[in-house]
Amino acid sequence: MLALFVVLGLVAGGLASNSCTTEDRREMQLMWGKVWSAQFTGRRVSIAQAVFKDLFHNVPAAVGLFDRVDGSDVNSNKFKAHCIRVVNGLDSAIGLLSDPSTLNEQLAHLATQHKERTGVTKSGFAAIAQSFLRVMPQVASCFNPDAWSRCFNRITDGMTEGLPA
Amino acid sequence: MKSLIAFMCLLAVAFASECGPLQRLKVKRQWAEAYGADYSREKLGHAIWSHVFQHAPAARDMFARVRGDNIHTPEFRAHAMRVIGGVDMCIALLDDEDILNSQLGHLAEQHSSRGVDAASYDTLEHAIMMAVEEVIGSQVFDEDAWEPCLDVITAGIQG
Repeated sequence: MLALFVVLGLVAGGLASNSCTTEDRREMQLMWGKVWSAQFTGRRVSIAQAVFKDLFHNVPAAVGLFDRVDGSDVNSNKFKAHCIRVVNGLDSAIGLLSDPSTLNEQLAHLATQHKERTGVTKSGFAAIAQSFLRVMPQVASCFNPDAWSRCFNRITDGMTEGLPA
Repeated sequence: MKSLIAFMCLLAVAFASECGPLQRLKVKRQWAEAYGADYSREKLGHAIWSHVFQHAPAARDMFARVRGDNIHTPEFRAHAMRVIGGVDMCIALLDDEDILNSQLGHLAEQHSSRGVDAASYDTLEHAIMMAVEEVIGSQVFDEDAWEPCLDVITAGIQG
């Protein structure tokens, strides 16, 4: 009997360490909402651009995937607008963590949009996840990297379904 | 004196219908309050689309791909989130005109093949204003800021 409890405890511990819990998503929504609100002038561009600058610094080959939106000039209006769209997609997904059935539809939509782009891979998403982890603590106060990562992965798992590794 | 007052009134009217820098700040602030976070967004999206389809029932056909026949489905809710996410982006960019125009160009491309007429954009604008007013209250809703600023956005999407 005791052994059963131990096993159950381990199972629960194992689940808790990987999945985006209700507490995690509340925390993520709080961390994100405080830096991203539409009322703050200029913040979005700075944050989104910082994420892509970090990605391109660490994965130079990624720049070529964004030719259509002037990826080689991160300060162009076209690329800044692209940055905003990408991070806005994340914003929607973070909001929808509270409504999983709608979130799944939205992630499937984003997955389709990414499958159409040759060169976009699961490892690319892992790289941009690291970029967010480097940028967010610089702009968010009281950043919780563990809760953030668990829920970020929940989102990218849905977005990268069907993409090459 | 009388003519001065008349002139001031004209000036006030002229200001009222413009999406100037101050109106943009007002809209950003009021939108942030209405868009909020989490579930309130879905309520806002639902309010907008139930209003649109009430006033333009035929518009449902344009959204067959995302279950426009039933706005309570996850498919349509996800669509509604994408639309208000797009509105959110444009409003956030209202005070950064160069990037705003680039974004409006992108949205124009996404809509060009779908045959949306000007009247439909008016209906959508009206629905957005009604929904925002519903959340933040009629005492503070600034229609003179919202209408011209939403015009800037929908005019850009219509190319």
